[in-house]
Amino acid sequence: MMSYLKKYWYWCLLAPVFMMGEITMDLLQPDFMANIVDNGVLKHNMPLILSMGLRMILLVMFGGVCGFLSGWASNIAGQNFGNDLRKDLFSKIMNLSFQQTDKISTGSLVTRLSNDVTQVQNMVMLAVRGLVRSSIMFIGGIFMLYMQSPKFALIAILALPFVILSVWFFMRKASPMFTAVQQKIDGINNIMQENIAGARVVKAYVKEDYELGRFESANGELCDVNLRVQSLLAFMGPCMNIILNLCVVAIILIGGITVKNNGGITTGEIMAAITYIAMILMSVMFMANIFQTFTRAKASAERINEVLSCGHIIRSGDVSESHSQGGEIEFRNVCFAYPDSGKRSVLENINLKIHSGETLAILGATGSGKSTLVNLIPRFYDVTSGEVLLDGINVKEYDLKHLRDKISIVLQKAELYSRSIEENIKWGKKDATPWEIKEAAQIAQADNFICAAPNGYYTPVSEGGHSLSGGQKQRISIARALLKKAEILIFDDSTSALDLKTEANLYKALNEKFPETTKIIIAQRIASVRGADRIVVMDNGKITACGTHDELLETSEIYKDIYYSQLKKE
Amino acid sequence: MMKQTEEKLPEGFNAPADEKIKYHKAEHDKAANLNFMRRGGPPGPNMGLPVEKPKQTKQTVSRLIKYFKNEKKLLVFLISAVLISTIVSLFAPALQGSAIDIILQGKWADLYGMVAVLFAVYALSTAFSLAQSLLSAHLSQRIVSSMRYDLFAKINRLSIKYLDTHSNGDVMSRMTNDVENVSNAVSQSIGSLVSGALTVVGTIAIMFYYCWQLTLITLLTVIITVVVTKELSQAMRRIYKKRSELLGMLNGHSEEMITGYKSVVAYNKQQDVIEEFNKASDELTKVSIRAEILGGSMGPIMNCISNISFVIVAAFGGYFALKGMITVGIISAFIIYARQFSRPINEIAQLYGSLQTAVAGAERVFELIDQPDEDNSGNLPIKNIKGRISFKNVNFSYTPDKQVLFDFNLDVDPGQKIALVGATGSGKTTVVNLLTRFYPVDSGEILIDGVNIMDLNRDELRRNIAIVLQDTVLFSDTIEKNIKYANHEASDEEMTYAAHMSNCTYFIERLPEQYQTFLKHAGSSLSQGQRQLLAIARAILADPKILILDEATSSVDTRTEKHIQDAMVNLMKNRTSLIIAHRLSTIQDADKIVVMDKGRIVESGTHDELLKQKGRYYELYMTQFAGNAI
Repeated sequence: MMSYLKKYWYWCLLAPVFMMGEITMDLLQPDFMANIVDNGVLKHNMPLILSMGLRMILLVMFGGVCGFLSGWASNIAGQNFGNDLRKDLFSKIMNLSFQQTDKISTGSLVTRLSNDVTQVQNMVMLAVRGLVRSSIMFIGGIFMLYMQSPKFALIAILALPFVILSVWFFMRKASPMFTAVQQKIDGINNIMQENIAGARVVKAYVKEDYELGRFESANGELCDVNLRVQSLLAFMGPCMNIILNLCVVAIILIGGITVKNNGGITTGEIMAAITYIAMILMSVMFMANIFQTFTRAKASAERINEVLSCGHIIRSGDVSESHSQGGEIEFRNVCFAYPDSGKRSVLENINLKIHSGETLAILGATGSGKSTLVNLIPRFYDVTSGEVLLDGINVKEYDLKHLRDKISIVLQKAELYSRSIEENIKWGKKDATPWEIKEAAQIAQADNFICAAPNGYYTPVSEGGHSLSGGQKQRISIARALLKKAEILIFDDSTSALDLKTEANLYKALNEKFPETTKIIIAQRIASVRGADRIVVMDNGKITACGTHDELLETSEIYKDIYYSQLKKE
Repeated sequence: MMKQTEEKLPEGFNAPADEKIKYHKAEHDKAANLNFMRRGGPPGPNMGLPVEKPKQTKQTVSRLIKYFKNEKKLLVFLISAVLISTIVSLFAPALQGSAIDIILQGKWADLYGMVAVLFAVYALSTAFSLAQSLLSAHLSQRIVSSMRYDLFAKINRLSIKYLDTHSNGDVMSRMTNDVENVSNAVSQSIGSLVSGALTVVGTIAIMFYYCWQLTLITLLTVIITVVVTKELSQAMRRIYKKRSELLGMLNGHSEEMITGYKSVVAYNKQQDVIEEFNKASDELTKVSIRAEILGGSMGPIMNCISNISFVIVAAFGGYFALKGMITVGIISAFIIYARQFSRPINEIAQLYGSLQTAVAGAERVFELIDQPDEDNSGNLPIKNIKGRISFKNVNFSYTPDKQVLFDFNLDVDPGQKIALVGATGSGKTTVVNLLTRFYPVDSGEILIDGVNIMDLNRDELRRNIAIVLQDTVLFSDTIEKNIKYANHEASDEEMTYAAHMSNCTYFIERLPEQYQTFLKHAGSSLSQGQRQLLAIARAILADPKILILDEATSSVDTRTEKHIQDAMVNLMKNRTSLIIAHRLSTIQDADKIVVMDKGRIVESGTHDELLKQKGRYYELYMTQFAGNAI
């Protein structure tokens, strides 16, 4: 992770250098103050006050400029570091294989990209600036204090263990509490979310009071934990104050006694000592703060590293020339099991050849392996054994981009983006003309409702597509896939929300406009698949039957079973 | 191609270009908001964050105060603690000054007494500031928790209409974001505001008491501090706002791309998406650097000013001391006071921003609390419901300009199985919404056993109806609790029976802890089909007289669906059931099939009758089974 900082090493170096200037000024300033008081005010030496004062202001201004520059440098280093890290992480995420995103959920990836990167970036900035600053402050403060009087330095050193101990105590106590608070907040948000999204169910079962009770107890728990944290932290400030004030009292006392015994301490020095000791204690607290950020950032850094260190599971091949009219797919002895799922295989010994231009339908119960089978073609997953051939070449040998350009797949869950409908459809082909877009939409049976929308094709799709019905979303994503004009078109149960008439029109238009394209259609309804050239029936990861509708009615028990279950003939 | 571009654009592409831009902007703003909400946690000092201005400050504040009224005791204790700790700490510098004077004047006998007093004062100040933090923590927690409770209680009573017409995120953010803002402001502000004001007034008073000339000079430096703070923080606010907008945009974009990642990969769009992200990220970095540098300059500038003010005080103090007007101890006290002075002023300036945000947040919370409750009129009890349902001349529209149901008439006898079929948007689900009183009819009436449902007790009405919806709602709880949702007192036998009837048993028994398995994230680990089966089990256990299935098995494969149906044949005996389905196979044995189109009933009868009519139903049936789909 630190290698990201290398590029900005000079900024990382400049920041502490400028800071030295700033801190030196900070450290010298109380000394000046002491000088002004002792030699100017006490001795009624007005010119000295003015000249020293002027010098002090100049010094402080110089310190200010240094501080500003140090901030400048550390910001450039930190922000650019964060930027590079974020960009790399995002591009890594975009290049993960499905297998990897299954393992690390997308929600978690989003937090890693936003929260964790910010966390690490803050840490870097703090480290470049704060850590250096507070350690110099600390050492310098003790040194200056020693210069005033060794006795004062002793006071500071005596006070230190107490400060460190109490800071350590509070942090140790508080950090698990913060986690607990976050959990309780999540709990409350969860109940809220469920009650808003599931209002119909709550109301239909008349469970308002039950839910209110659930919320009340969660709310009470949150309140309790919050109170515990805040009460604990309430002690922290006063604790520090006591130590600080005890030091001040001690300095006055010891300083007074020393003055009395003509020990060579001046009033100005006592005043300066008070400032220094505050400075030292503050720097300790600040350091403690930094360490806390460190521990949090460490967890974040680990989470980021986990993603960055993901290897490329799916390696691109290098075949990128196209064969004549392609679109022929062959599965040879294909087995597949999801990694980390034990040994339970999803596909077992699949052998299937799909001809160019053929319409092949796949039917089967949920979990029978239909989606998995088609996901192997664009290499969303790689086979566990066996091979998948596209136009006679193993898909692993194709250049990945080229391979995926040949295939257009409509996913089960229609993923739309919060842009206009037009941009969503154009997703498949950047330079598509309005005519092409409209044609694709027409085939997908989407043109009618799009034109009826207030802004036509420029109507925005709200986040996640909530403004559209399930069927509308599916039709837009079908239009998107059609616009790509690939050799192979795959519908992964992507017409389930369409009513039958619309679905029939869609397939009719599809056959007219894309006769040459190899079409693979996964569906639940017999009506959807009935007219296909061949129908494959899958059960438990195996192909149990394959043939036309009429053939299957003769030969396949499962198909018959499905058919009659849908037709309801006694 | 050339020829085409000269033609008019096709239909649907004529929207004004600026609409497009406007939409993007709005979307980005929303993203920024959402993101802000998701951050959670206290936003910390409000220095740079965008401040929102409330609209009706007065009313909102007075309602906020009402929450405090319940906590009078705490409030009184808190304010007295603040007063005492502030007053005590006000005298500390003066005492410190006296101590220095004592040393200078060599009155050693007094020194120990002075130190003892100083010590006592510090101890007192510490004790009371501790009390202050503890009390304000209690106060803010109690107020916020009762506010949260009120808000949730209201959300629970909101009408479905409100929830349908407002985005979930918007309602959620009132709980997460707005209440949090109020909480922060309450916990930070009360103490700081009182002590800040008191410190300022007290400091000025004490300073005047010592030496008014020097006080005036010190005040001058304070004014400089205030002006600089104000100018700087305004500039910062602007740039921080821009930054948070950009951040929201970036996070919105990345979140969408990561959750929709499969489509990105399927369309080979990784490179484009990454470039887009990099551009936004670079832009954000540029603004962030500017913002942080500006923010970082605050410290050094303040430091400069405070040192200048020290020199001024020292110089004039020295001059006055020369004239014998004041002692050195007083100068030392003045120096501390001058520092002490700028702190509360800074704090108050910052608080003002966070208070404004809090009031705006409270305003939004109250706005929701002020929403009318769901209609709860009618109090006729339901006894021995038979399950006769009749819709009489029902008209309904969700929005005034678009009527959904037209003169809808339907009679269902007790125990009948009625199916509603028709295209999306034909009004099937609306019938369900009306029957359960999620929405009130515009005109006409709905009767159950001859009684208008508006006259019935609403909760009892709903207890007698079980609905299973297409979008299954599960709760983050155990499977057992989810099935027993309608009736937590149900026995385990009843539960397993319901699970068996709905074909859930096969997958529940494969789960590690079976019925005790906890469904994380509202059951997102289950497939849509499994979720629907659980919802059906829940409805079976509810044992209602009226059962409504709204596309309840759309994600279940047809064979499993058949098994469920076989089981449900028993279940539906003696129950009136209303079934909405796309798959006609599901409903062929219904007692009556009602075909709807554009809010009207176009046909009704049994399956065979309707087939004979060769009307709309026949057409639907043929597309589904005659096999001309592909």
